[in-house]
Order: sequence, then C-alpha cells, then structure tokens
Amino acid sequence: MARGRELHFYLAGINNQNFLMRDRETGSWWQQVTGRAIAGELAGSALELMPNDELTFGWWKSEEPHGLLLAPVQGHGDKDYDKKWEEEVAKYPVPLTFPGQGLKDRDVILGVAMGGQSRAFPLTKVRGASPIEDKIAGVPVVLVTGPDGDSVRVFRSQWNGQDIEIYRDTQSDENSDGHNDGQSSGQSSGWRLLDSLGNTWNFAGCATSGPAVGQCLEKINFLKDYWFDWKNYNPQTTVYSH
Amino acid sequence: MIRAINRAMTMNRSENRGLWLLLGLLAVFFSLSLFLIPAFVIRPFRYQSERALGLAIAVKRIAPTLTVAVLAGVVALGARLWRSSSRWLRTGIVMALVLSAASAVMVRQNYFEWMFNPITAAGFVPAGDAHVSDKEMVMAVRIGQEARAYPIVQMAYHHILNDTVAEIPIVVTY
Repeated sequence: MARGRELHFYLAGINNQNFLMRDRETGSWWQQVTGRAIAGELAGSALELMPNDELTFGWWKSEEPHGLLLAPVQGHGDKDYDKKWEEEVAKYPVPLTFPGQGLKDRDVILGVAMGGQSRAFPLTKVRGASPIEDKIAGVPVVLVTGPDGDSVRVFRSQWNGQDIEIYRDTQSDENSDGHNDGQSSGQSSGWRLLDSLGNTWNFAGCATSGPAVGQCLEKINFLKDYWFDWKNYNPQTTVYSH
Repeated sequence: MIRAINRAMTMNRSENRGLWLLLGLLAVFFSLSLFLIPAFVIRPFRYQSERALGLAIAVKRIAPTLTVAVLAGVVALGARLWRSSSRWLRTGIVMALVLSAASAVMVRQNYFEWMFNPITAAGFVPAGDAHVSDKEMVMAVRIGQEARAYPIVQMAYHHILNDTVAEIPIVVTY
C-alpha cells in the first residue's frame, strides 16, 4: 500500500541486479530492495516494511504450527525451483564492486539499518559466533543464530529501558549441540539464551524464566543481501569486524 | 515550355517521394529504438547508471503510444506510395511495416515475466501437511493471528507475490 492505495506488483526489470517492479494501478516503477518508487505517479513514496523472518521451515513450523505455507505453483517444478540457485547465482558477474572493506562482492551479509546508521554483518561471522552483540547508532542489538543453525534473528538487547547482555547457555548446548541435523521439528530441547539479569530467552526473543518472563524483546528487521547490493544502497555502511 | 514545366513537376514529385521515404525510414528506426534502448539499458548483470535507467524508464513510458503512432504513419505512407513503387520499394515498405508492428508489439511485452512466470493464483498448505524439508529456508510473516511462510526456492524464481494476510495487502519479494 502507498498513499492509502492498495497496489499489485509485477516484475518489470532490473537495476544493478536488484529488481524493479511496477504496480498495475499506476504503472509506477519501484526498487525492490528499498520499497521506494523511483519513477511514475508515485515516485518518492515508500512501501511499509512488514516485520519478517527468514527461517528454516522446521523452525517456522515449530513456532507456527497453524501457519500456511505457499504451495508450489502449478507447472513449476525442480527445474524452476532450483535448490542450487545460490551456487548458480554466485557464478554470475556483478555490476558493481566495492572493495576496501574486506568483503567480496557476493559475500552474504546481514544488513541492519537504524537511527541513520547501517552495518553489515558477514553471515559466516554471525553463524560462527552467535550471539553477536553490537551497538548501532547507540542502540544495543544482538544477532542470534537459532537452534537449527540456520535461522537468524536480530533483537534490541534492552529490557525495561535497560541494556542487557545476552549470551548462550553453554549447558544447554551440551544437550542440543546448538546445531542439530535439522531433522528434529525444531524443538531443540535445551537451547536457550541467558542474560545479565537472570532471564532465560528463547529464539523467539521471549523470556521463558526470570524477571522478564512472558515478555519479548523488540525484533529488528534486517536484510540478508549480497555485499555489493547492500553497499550500493547503504553507501555509509560499516562492516562488523570483531 | 509546357514540357519543361512538366519535367520540373516530375522532379519535384520524385524529390518529395524521396523525402517521404527517408522520413518513413527514420520513423521505423525511431520506433525500433523505443524498444531497443530500454531493452539494452535494463539488461541483467550489467551496470545501470542512474541517468541511463532514468532514460530507459522515460522511453518505456512513451513507447506504447509512439510506436502505434509510427505504425499508423508507416501504414498511411505505404498505402500512398504502394502503387507507384517498384518491387524493391514494395519489399521495403513491407519490411518497414513488419518492423514497426513488431516494435509496437514488443514494447507491450514484459519479457521479464516470460523468464520468471508470475504467480497468478497462490495456493497454500497448512504447515503440518507440507512436504518440505525442515532445512529449507522460508520467508515468514505474522500479521495479527495469521502466519504465512514462503519457500525461498519458490520466491527466488517468481520473485514477487501479491498476498493478503489478515486483510493487509502485502507484496512478498525476493
């Protein structure tokens, strides 16, 4: 929706490997990654970004047992739904290159933008050392890789207006190993996070025990993107490098 | 004297004719460029500068009308010149017609949707009934009481899905 109007979009082109879409209602042109109209009647308007997650199916199902999953569209099979598409895409050339910040063009990063600042977290780092604590524009954030080893979420690590320090419960790791084979339904028995106030948190960011029990941390939207694309739209971005 | 005047008139006529032919030729090139400029600028794996993209979009916006105008002009001109034309010229007129018609058709085509078919009618299955590996990545939203997930392998192909969740219209993109 933009300017109170419901819009329907279709694929219309490509701009430096980020696609362009148009809406049927006004024919305006929109940039996918920013959700902004760049030409046409609605130029300058922006779509509202909905809170969203990128999760493994197993984990999502464990959180949303009554959720609905998009079914394969008739007439499209494994040929179109290529499970190796990421490897395929990695072979293609990039239209832009941004050397000098230690990342390769097609390195996958998690981009967080808040308070006018932006930071890229290399996915390999996030997976390797979860949880990662950082501050962006003065706001404490924590990036957490889930019990399935693939799903990632970002939270504002503040509760009751107080900064909290979040870390992994290593005891629970011994039970779940923090990295199961993905065949479980996602209910990794003992996986949990601890904080400096004596709370325990689950991967949904909600306290399961302690003073904050029943409350949840504020979830922060992020973008999983290739480095060159993120840098193109966030020229001032810094790169997490601890 | 009368003969001389006659000749002058003939010359004038054939000059006019040449001018019209040149104009027709230019119009056909113009029509083709209305299709080719955006197609050239907006192509995958290439750099698009802001100016080039702006030009391509501007051309795309005027192309549907202008290509039809050129086609109409070429039809009118062709009809007028047809009887007095040699066989070669008639071949040229036919080619001009074909090219300007092709241009008018192509500027109305969305070849990006030829490559990546859009989802016209999305179907959903309950999480518990889906035959999907637990490891497969999905994009997930929850709005109000409704939760939906979109497998990334599917979205990486179709790219766009217009959906409505808890009465909120959303567009899912990948």
